[in-house]
Amino acid sequence: MSLPKPVMRGLLAKRLRFHLPIAFTLSLIVAAAFKFTVTEPRKQAYADFYKQYDAMKEFNAMREAGIFESVRPSGE
Amino acid sequence: MFRAALRLSVSGARSLTRSPPQYAAPLAARCYSHGKQETDEEFDARWITYFNKPDIDAWELRKGMNTLIGYDLVPEPKILDAALRACRRLNDLASAIRILEAVKDKSGPHKDIYPYVIQELRPTLTELGIPTPEELGIDKV
Repeated sequence: MSLPKPVMRGLLAKRLRFHLPIAFTLSLIVAAAFKFTVTEPRKQAYADFYKQYDAMKEFNAMREAGIFESVRPSGE
Repeated sequence: MFRAALRLSVSGARSLTRSPPQYAAPLAARCYSHGKQETDEEFDARWITYFNKPDIDAWELRKGMNTLIGYDLVPEPKILDAALRACRRLNDLASAIRILEAVKDKSGPHKDIYPYVIQELRPTLTELGIPTPEELGIDKV
């Protein structure tokens, strides 16, 4: 009935040796997933928006709306 | 476990796994890449000598136990035996029982370690009249 001697040393090292590579890999996967599902589409959306952006056209639309103080709408 | 994890930095753990397979026991206290690495027996002997000091004082007992608990290992029954006898010399039953609680805590999820240690220490516990936390009913909250 006497119990055999269990392993008593290096238990944390054993656990870390198993879990740390998994932890690092999972973190990298999550970071990569976030990059490709969130940041890249976001950057692409901005790029697409500004590809066809006409600053003067937008400026004139704002000017006609009368929001500026330095230039009044062309009518006045 | 968290304290042990802090002690064992990632690089430390990595170097431990590459340490020479002397009895397959990485030693958290020594992570030299050079110099002789202490064997398990030398480690145990050093700690037994520490606790066997006839005139050990209470501070040294506490310091020794706290240092020992910080390592990535559950202390061998022979080290614990020396520590319990030091408690006896210091008339410190509370620390003796606390040492047993610490062993159980250090084992973490490995439930087979504590019963084994108690089995090995049973003669000493009987001789010194030290009850286990289970016998006192203080192992449950």
